[in-house]
Amino acid sequence: MWSFILRRLLYNIPVYLGIILLVMVLLRVRNPVYAYLGKNADAKQIEEFEKSFGLKDPFIVQYGRFLWNGIQLDFGESWKYKGTTVREKLLGAIPPSLSITVPALVLTSLLSITVGLLSAFNRGRLLDRLLVIAAVLGMSISFLVYIIFGQFFGAALPRNVFGEDWPLAIVGYGDWYRLSSVDIFGLTIPVPDAMTWVKFCLLPVLISVVVAMGYDTRFYRAVMVEECNRDYIITARAKGATKSKIMFVHMLKNAMIPIITRIMTTLPFLITGSILLEMYFNIPGMGRTLITAITDMDYPMIQGFTAVIALLYILSIILTDVLYALVDPRVRLS
Amino acid sequence: MISVSMRRTMTFAAVLSALAAAPSPASAGGESGAAADKVLRLPMTTDGPKSLDPIVGSTTYENRCCSQIFDTLVQYKYLKRPFELEPSLLAEMPQISEDGKVWHCTLKKGVRFQDDPCFPDGKGREIVASDVFYSWKRAADPKYQFKSYWLLEDTIVGLDEFKEAQQQSGSFNYDAPVEGFRLINDHEFELVFKRPVQQFMWKLAMFQLSIVPREAVEKYGDRFNRHPVGSGPFMLENESDWQIGTSLVLKRNPNYRDEFYPSEAMPGDAEAGFTKAAGQKLPIVDRIEITFFVESQPMWLKFEAGELDYTTVPETAYEEAFSRRSGNLKRTYEQRGITAHKVPLIDFIFRGFNMEDPLLGGYTKEKRALRKAICLALDWDELNEAYYNGTALIYDGMIPHGLDGHPEDGHLSNAWRGPDLERARQFLAEAGYPDGKDLPIIDYYTSSGGTSERMAALTARQLAKVNIRINPRLVDFSTLMEAVDNKKAPFFSFAWGSDYPDAENNLALFYGPNEAPKPNHFNYKNAEYDRLYEKIRTMPPGPERTAIYIQMRDMVLEDCPYAGSMARIRHFLVNPWLLNFKPTETFYTWMKYLDVDDSKRPGGSSR
Repeated sequence: MWSFILRRLLYNIPVYLGIILLVMVLLRVRNPVYAYLGKNADAKQIEEFEKSFGLKDPFIVQYGRFLWNGIQLDFGESWKYKGTTVREKLLGAIPPSLSITVPALVLTSLLSITVGLLSAFNRGRLLDRLLVIAAVLGMSISFLVYIIFGQFFGAALPRNVFGEDWPLAIVGYGDWYRLSSVDIFGLTIPVPDAMTWVKFCLLPVLISVVVAMGYDTRFYRAVMVEECNRDYIITARAKGATKSKIMFVHMLKNAMIPIITRIMTTLPFLITGSILLEMYFNIPGMGRTLITAITDMDYPMIQGFTAVIALLYILSIILTDVLYALVDPRVRLS
Repeated sequence: MISVSMRRTMTFAAVLSALAAAPSPASAGGESGAAADKVLRLPMTTDGPKSLDPIVGSTTYENRCCSQIFDTLVQYKYLKRPFELEPSLLAEMPQISEDGKVWHCTLKKGVRFQDDPCFPDGKGREIVASDVFYSWKRAADPKYQFKSYWLLEDTIVGLDEFKEAQQQSGSFNYDAPVEGFRLINDHEFELVFKRPVQQFMWKLAMFQLSIVPREAVEKYGDRFNRHPVGSGPFMLENESDWQIGTSLVLKRNPNYRDEFYPSEAMPGDAEAGFTKAAGQKLPIVDRIEITFFVESQPMWLKFEAGELDYTTVPETAYEEAFSRRSGNLKRTYEQRGITAHKVPLIDFIFRGFNMEDPLLGGYTKEKRALRKAICLALDWDELNEAYYNGTALIYDGMIPHGLDGHPEDGHLSNAWRGPDLERARQFLAEAGYPDGKDLPIIDYYTSSGGTSERMAALTARQLAKVNIRINPRLVDFSTLMEAVDNKKAPFFSFAWGSDYPDAENNLALFYGPNEAPKPNHFNYKNAEYDRLYEKIRTMPPGPERTAIYIQMRDMVLEDCPYAGSMARIRHFLVNPWLLNFKPTETFYTWMKYLDVDDSKRPGGSSR
């Protein structure tokens, strides 16, 4: 297995270098310095800035420098937030994203798989049709609509009626950084307690689950429907196995490969977060940080974030292959 | 009979209610005394400031936050309109020598920086004259990319030379002397200028020239922008109180100097309740909680739920708050005691011409006629109705509302305000393009995003009525600036927010030596105009100076290097429990004057 992992890692190095190269080239198509220095900058200031940030160096030198520093997990300092390193911003943005995406993924997966199983097992019946209609309806509505309605009906309206005793906040991340924290790589990362999590995260998590349920339910239903037609299900039924045993033991186990694929491909997005949710709920996670970095043309931040996200994506793909082999003995890592 | 789903809903509601009844983390966290604190809860659009170090600040968001933490030598009078200045850290306004070149300044005695570990025993020390020189020399330090140097450039004797010498030496020596910084004693100093510069008084009130303690900058280095130490009414107690991009909590600075709510007010201020607090010690509230909103929708919802003390009205919510026909606040808001304030911004929104462009530039009769034809074909009122809810102010000239030289009622007979298609066609013919024949397509640069694309389409449609064709180039803001700075954009959409409320700041946009990449984006050159500009820089306010402002305004109108103008109106809605709030976006030191009446908040408490 280790040789497989090593081989896949080696294969992916050129891909990874290509991604970094592409991002750096794209970022240099336009010069961000004019906007960064503002309306009162003169030509000399612009030149000084370009020099001090190495933008005057040949591209290959800039590329090499970024890679060399990146290996040492040093992505430089944010242009916009002086005195703040990209690494610091990255580590600070991961917990807020995870506090939304992990519960959302767990809940969505559990619910969607269960609903998919139920739907597949009752294929063609009223329950199945209702569930499929609900899933299609759910998919058809824009994420933004869910957010706006969710914020209004889940928080703004009740807070208007019940005041600030209503436990779900309209936006924010509020005071949780005052409560508890963990130290990672010498940095203090805030972690919410349960109460604070409910206040600031429950609503975005619920919205995220509702949005994802439609897509996931349809996918898992399709997977389960295929499994329903397999001989081992007919055999199990003939042997008198109970409905729940067939669904949750036989079918679920055999459907694990597509389930794992689905979940594993979602893993990098746990870190990257949901841009829309983070923007509307004021959650300082990875998605929001990356978008504001792009808006601000904060090159070191964009490059650093892209490098980490690309790495996570590649690692998750390799991990998916490894998990296939662990789940299904027929798959060999050769 | 209660259905299963109903029972589940009720169970969920019960859980939520139980959670609500439990003590909140904030109160559990030992903030039991916080209930008695007066707290301002304010919104800020965008993700807030990028830095709390004034010397690298440039945006309105940085201004808003730094103005609470730091002090400047002078400040705006809170209630006075038109704007006037008064001493802040200074004991009195600078005494100006007869030739106008030497300003004698005296600092208030006993004003201390906030307490911080950077000082011996952690006690904030007194502000002395050398702090002023140190703070301003930072603008010349390459470490800060000269972001604020434009405020001091070509003004103080020896400062430009000091900057050059330090840059060449490779290491910055803050102790090196500057001829124009004369230290008399700890509380008195003189500023010596190359020439009289009246407008420098406004610059003294700008947050970038705030006074900072050297100990803090040296101790915290680059982290100073996250760990600001000032002498303002509020302070950042812990670095974690600034959750970048999310929120900022500032607490009252116990060392804040003796300053009291002003009694000098304008007619109508007493009726609006702005004078009730006269004589009260500042700051009035104990804490400010600022929430940043990248999206305006949640800000609006939070205001609606009574969780913000005021809000600016997002364009998308305008018709929810105001009657489109009358422009008045809707009754539902009035019934809640909410008041509306319309604040005109000192904006100059225009479409600029590059005067060096082979097609549009130049000073011949034909070239002027072409530009005038474009101006006359544009319909700013249509733009205003379509994209600003009809609330923006359209005016002639480049001097915005409220400043000397702004035309009465905004209209000038010698301006080229459209739409006047008949005259536009006449000028087009005069320019050598009868009915637009043979006129090449003009590249029109504008920034992408928001409504820009539709606005560009509207501009194209308006100009097409007289057969002037444009090619809208929608580019990101940086590319737009690059194109304008490099004189590559023949026709462009731009805006200028005045740095201070003096028309000189807008007239500087047409001063020859300020050509791109400096703020004369038009690359307008007129020797007589430049001579007058140099003259007004040295003149004190008064009818003579205003007359020259008008003369300069009219010179530019005749040459027509831009089409315009327009200024936005900011709409504020203020909840009834927020007291003393006279909104403005010209300065941001006003948070210290604000008060809250917690009994009027929903639930009758501050939290």
